[in-house]
This record gives sequence, structure tokens and C-alpha cells, in this order.
Amino acid sequence: MLRAFRPRILSAGLVALALAAAGCGGSSGTTSSSGGSGTSGGTTATLNTLIIANAVKVDTLDPAQNSVNESIWMDQNLYSRLLQPNATGTGLLPDLATSWDISTNGLTYTFHLRPDAQFSDGTPVTAQDAAYSIIRSKNTSGGWGFLLTAVKKVTATDAHTLKITLTQPHAPLLADLAMYAYSIVPEKLVKAQGKAFWQHPVSSGPFMVTSYSADSEIDLARNPHFYGTKPKISKVKIMIVPNDNTRVLMLQSKKADIIENPPGNLVSEINKTPGLSVQLFPSTRVDFIQLDQHYKPFKNLYVRQALNYALDRSAIVKLAYQGHAIPGSSFMPYKMQYWNSSLQPYPYNVAKAKQLLAKGGYPHGFKTFLITVSGDVAGQAEAVVVKSQLAAVGINVDIQSYELLTAYNKEDGGHSQMGERYWTNDIIDPDEVATFGADCKGGANAFNSYWCSAQATKLVNQGRAELNNAKRQQMYSQIQQIVYQQTPYLIIDYSPYRYGVGGWVKGFHVTPLGNYDLSLETLTVSQH
Amino acid sequence: MSRFGSMPRRLVHLVILMFGITLVTFFLLRLIPGDPALAILGSSYTHDRAVAIDSTLGLDKPIWTQYGLFLGRLFHGNLGFSFFYGQSATTVIAHHIPPTVFLIAYSAVLAALISFPIGFVSGLRRGGIVDQSSRVFFTLSFAMPAFWLGIMLILVFSVHVPVFPLGGFGRGFAGHVYSLFLPALTIALGFSTVLVRSLRAATISTLQAEFIDTARMKGIRWSQVLWKHVFRNAILVVVAVFGVNLAYLISGTVLVENVFSLPGLGTLLVNSVSTRDYPVVQGVTLLFAVLIVGINLITDITQAALDPRVGQEIGA
Repeated sequence: MLRAFRPRILSAGLVALALAAAGCGGSSGTTSSSGGSGTSGGTTATLNTLIIANAVKVDTLDPAQNSVNESIWMDQNLYSRLLQPNATGTGLLPDLATSWDISTNGLTYTFHLRPDAQFSDGTPVTAQDAAYSIIRSKNTSGGWGFLLTAVKKVTATDAHTLKITLTQPHAPLLADLAMYAYSIVPEKLVKAQGKAFWQHPVSSGPFMVTSYSADSEIDLARNPHFYGTKPKISKVKIMIVPNDNTRVLMLQSKKADIIENPPGNLVSEINKTPGLSVQLFPSTRVDFIQLDQHYKPFKNLYVRQALNYALDRSAIVKLAYQGHAIPGSSFMPYKMQYWNSSLQPYPYNVAKAKQLLAKGGYPHGFKTFLITVSGDVAGQAEAVVVKSQLAAVGINVDIQSYELLTAYNKEDGGHSQMGERYWTNDIIDPDEVATFGADCKGGANAFNSYWCSAQATKLVNQGRAELNNAKRQQMYSQIQQIVYQQTPYLIIDYSPYRYGVGGWVKGFHVTPLGNYDLSLETLTVSQH
Repeated sequence: MSRFGSMPRRLVHLVILMFGITLVTFFLLRLIPGDPALAILGSSYTHDRAVAIDSTLGLDKPIWTQYGLFLGRLFHGNLGFSFFYGQSATTVIAHHIPPTVFLIAYSAVLAALISFPIGFVSGLRRGGIVDQSSRVFFTLSFAMPAFWLGIMLILVFSVHVPVFPLGGFGRGFAGHVYSLFLPALTIALGFSTVLVRSLRAATISTLQAEFIDTARMKGIRWSQVLWKHVFRNAILVVVAVFGVNLAYLISGTVLVENVFSLPGLGTLLVNSVSTRDYPVVQGVTLLFAVLIVGINLITDITQAALDPRVGQEIGA
């Protein structure tokens, strides 16, 4: 998933100033009638509408084509899938499929669909719709079809039974089908309307789109035909507010109930404002530094390990992430399925780093560059800390900042040296991250480090085909151990999702995959 | 030759300029590292997926073929299909024109309302209270960056004293006038400085002209002299300044659109460059070029209409 780049326009000091001023006057100016935050009293009325301010415009309402995180998270409220990830992102829940059977050889999956499911126009959701949707997404070019290469056939055996046959056992199948790309859409309408369908889609999730303007406002209303728990709120308004400071001011003046990604330097300011708080939700984001092995020093294992010891991760977390991140150890997202908790972040040890550098043949260090994304405030701060820490062991780092896609382009293709990157999961199964990060033939060249371990590659492929949980646990633990020891890239930290939330909103929750659709079904908004 | 005799030549220039712009934008865009496939795939980028995307978007064809296809479509008024909006680039751009055009026109009107009386009075009474205080005020407002001024206006008029909305375009004409007041004011305050200063200078120099003495000697009432002779002559200078700066305003709206969450052309251009949405970037750039050339043309025509000498100098 791509997190779109947001320019941060105001300098930190200026914003803090503005915010402090806003904090002083905001409560008196806007809500004299409600008498404060509106949540403290015992008899607060509830409101029907939830307003969320997102930083990034919607790319598309077609789940097969979504690539912007915010759009993906919004779409989960519209469409249902066969299964869905649970609130902690560690297991799966039924969605359109109430149950499923897996043949003993692991090659045939039979899904039993709920008979009462309807789309927002009142037509029933059939197994044929599901088959069509899965095949459509699988065949979308550049889409997520590569996850389902093991799928041979998807067929509706009757109105409510779907059969998927595989060419080889594929353990992540259920997790793949719970992914946003495999949302179920009405076959007849999509076929009849073509691209126009995605301007006003008909969907079977808890909410439906009533008004769509990709870069200003998207209005959702409760889907009267939704088969699950009826959401307590009847409307969700998603506003696109690209400017970080404007979003914060919206929350402070109570024009928004929830704002996405408030800037790190304003977190403590928001927390000081009565009735507001910044909530952190564990995510699947892993921040790491790519080490391109086309650059000679990084081919050397001792050098890579030396870099690991030369970095003080807790200092990076404190200085770049205001302490709101966890120092990283495994390359797999924090506490995800099969996460290896026995691995500890590399300790900060300058002497050991120097010793390893000498052992690797670089006793006096070397010169290198670190690619960062301009406008990424935390990333820039991280780069400065990394530069100064590596200078202590004799490595001279030149920080090079580029616009997002230029930076990515320079980091890909084997002409890079060091580069700041991050990973986020799209599915709860570790197969995805393992394929991108540790499989020589996975297509991503081990996060573009061009590191290749035959043993790790073999384990990734075995893990994909293994259906026994305990065995998979053991395999993925081993893969993480190999990556940890081999250090093809430097795992820096696990950073959480940040949302500014008004105290009048009760029950907002974001899963590690970034979805908040489950919480919107039960969330309440009080008078404020 | 008549006052407007240079028009046909200007139109030919316009066509050549447009062609040049298509060429430069098309190739410059493709020279930027990073492509649409990378924008779509992000950290899930693999070579195979990128190849598949390129072929869907037609980016696997030779670059001159792509340019030929682009030009061919352009002649039919078709800018191609946006990579990210799932709609034709023409539709996407058309959708983003109203906020920007409204904002620019609104800012221009506000700037004129603010600066014409102040500039004229400052010139008439040099060193007077209006002159002195407006000098300080407009120097300050000119020095304030638009994004800062915008945030401050939001802070005062949307948060502390919530009179105006925090952003957005509003619905209907009245809604636009109301919603866009703060962003238009942000732009107008910066823009007014230039207008006030130039109108003041023009008024002072006109006052010293001999024809003013002549007019007074003829016994024309002072108010008549001021309105018919001083103001009309002074405003000519300002019209030229206005035109030139209006073109700069178009690029200046980008920051203001960002602060006030306006879905305008500036926002669209920045978003589309950062996602490498080639058809949209090409379309918006062309549109901006047409707007700037058009505004310059209108400025010349206005000047010619106001001052008979202008056309003769150009066209004779």
C-alpha cells in the first residue's frame, strides 16, 4: 500500500504558536451552548453523523484498483468480502461467508454464503456475484492477482455456495480473500455500467455512498439492506483536508470528530486541549533502511551488522517519532501472526560496531548516501540522527532528499546505497511480507536490497504451501531469525497510526491493517 | 491599422506557443524519475506488476508513438484518460476549474475594492494618515506568506470568532461567496500591496502632469479633474500591473487551495504531478498556458480600449 506524500507547509514553531492560540480560545468561541466537551454530563444526546477529516484524496472507489491507504480504509465500510480480518489483525471473521470447508488435500475450498445478504439496492448477493468479483480482481492488471496465482477455478455451485479450487496448497488463501481487493460487487451492474459504476457504486457493507467528490467530500449513509449489526450512526462524512494544520484546527473547532494523522509535533498540543486526544493504534508499518548490495561495503555481512550496532534506536524513536514508536527487531510487522518475539532490537554498541567494521575490512569507515523523502518530517529527523550516529563509527553519510516517487525510483533498480523505506501489510498472513522481504524470486529483490538467501527463499515457499499452523509458526520464526542475523536492511522501528479524536466520539478503533469499519458499526457520537 | 489590429498575429503566436507547451510538458514529465506504476504500487512494487500496469496505460509504446497519439487526441479535444480518477482528463479538469476561477476572480475583485480607493487617496494626500498607515499595513501583508496568513485568518475568523467556514467551496453562488471569502482575502491582501503602490505612484505623477494644470486653468471643477483626468490616467498603469500579476495569481492559488481544502486546479496539478498522472498534468498545464496568454491578451485589449494611443503604438 502506498501512503501518499503530504507536504508539511508550516514550520513546527509557527504551528505550535497558532495551535496554542487556538487552544486558548477554541472552547469559548465555538461551543458556548454545549457547555464544554459535551461528554461529561450524564444526559448527552447522540448525533447521527460522524465527520472524519482525511489528508489524502480518494483514488478510486473500485477496490480492485485502490492503492491509497485512506481510500482502502474507507472502501472497507462499503463493500463486504467473504471473510474479514478481526480487530487485532491476527485472525479472520466470517463476513459474507458464514462458514467454509477445506478439503483434506488443501486444494478445494467451499464457502457457504449467508442467504440474507443484499446489496444497497435491495438485490440479493449471490455466489455468482462473489465468483465474478474474485475473478475480476484477480485479472485486474497490476492488481492483486499475483496473490491468487495458485487459484485454478472459482465457481458458484448454487446461489449461496462458492467453490475455489487450487493448483497447489496455498495457506494464505483465506487471508487473501479477506483483503480489500477481493470485495464482492454486483456482477450485473458492474458489467452494465462499466467505469461509471465506480462513481456511484452499489455495495453490500454497512454503509453506501450517497455523494462522491474524490478530492473534497464523500458522504456515506447507513445501508438499509445491510445484513449485519446496523451502525448506530446513520451518516459518515469524509472530508479531504490536505493541510495538516487546517485538519487540527477543524478538530479544535469541532468541525471534525476524527482527524487522520495529525503532525507529530502537534500531538502533545492536541492532548493538552480539553476534550481532545491523539489516539495511537498499533499498525503493520515497519520503518527500515534499505542497504543496496550493489554498493560494495553492503555486500559484507560484518559491515551490515556493524551498522545495526551503530544505531541507537531508542534515540531515533525519541527524536524522530516523539517516542510514539517501538524500536524494531523482526522485519515482520509488530506482533502480527507468527511474529518472532524472541528477537530483540540490536543493542546500541559503538565499540562492537567499530570492531565489526574492522573485521569487514573498513576500519576507517566509508562514504555513502541515504535517500529520504522530502517533506517527510519524521524521516528527515531520522536521517539526521542516523547520520550523526554513523559518523561516530567513521561512516560518512550524505543525506539526499527527493520527492516521494523520485526517491522510490532511486531506491529501486540497484543503483542505491542506503534508503529510508517502510512496509505495511495488506493481508494478515505473513506470506506477503515474507515474499517481498525475503524471497529472492519474490519480485521485490528482498526490499530492493538484492540480498538473496536460498534457505530463506525455500522457507518462504514452504510456508506458503504448509497448512499446519505449528509448522508455519516454526518456519516464519526461522525466516525472521535469518533476516535478523543477515541484516539485509536495517529494521528501525514500528510506528503506529495516529488519529486526533474528539472526546465526544466513543468507540473508535483502528485495526493494525488500518481498517476502522468494524468500529463504525458500534461507535457513537455525543452532542458537542 | 485599428486599435485591435494585432489580434490575428497574437492568435498565431498562441497556437505556436500551445504546441511548444505540449512538447515540453510531455517530455519533461516523462523525464522525472518515478512513473505511474510506482505511484500505484508503492512498496508493493514488482517488475511484473509494473509491466502489466504500463501496458494497460499505454506506456509500453515507444515515446514518439505516445506523443503522436496524445497530439492526435488533443486535436479532437480529448486529453486522454486520467490514470487515477477513472474518468477522462477533460472531465476531471473541468470539475476542478470552478473553485480556482471563482477564487481568482473573487480575489481580483476584493483586491480592486481594497486597493483602488486606498491607492488613489494615498497618492492625492502624500504623507497623510491613509498613506502612512496603508504603507505599513500593506508592507506587512505583502511580507506574510499566503499559507501563514491563511491559517491566521482561519484561526481568527473560523475558530475564535466562527464567522466563516474552515474551508471548502460551498454550494451555490452565495455559498461560494461566503466560503471563499477568507481564501480570496488571503490572496487579495498580498495582491493589493502591488496595486496600492503602483496606483499611488501613478496618481502622484499624473497630478504633476501639465494637462492637469491646463484642466484646472480651464476652470473645470476639481472633483471632475480628479475623476476624469487624474484617476482615469492613473488607473491605466494599474490595469497593466493588474494583468501581469493576475497571471502570477494562478500559480499562487496552489498554497491557498491547500490551506483552505479547495478542490481546485492548483491542488489537482500538485496531486497529479506527485502521482505522475500524465494526462491530467498535460491538460492542466495547457489550460494554465491558455489562461495566462488569454489574460495578457485581455489586458492589452483593455488598455487599448482605455487609451487610444496603445493600439496605434502596437499596430501601426
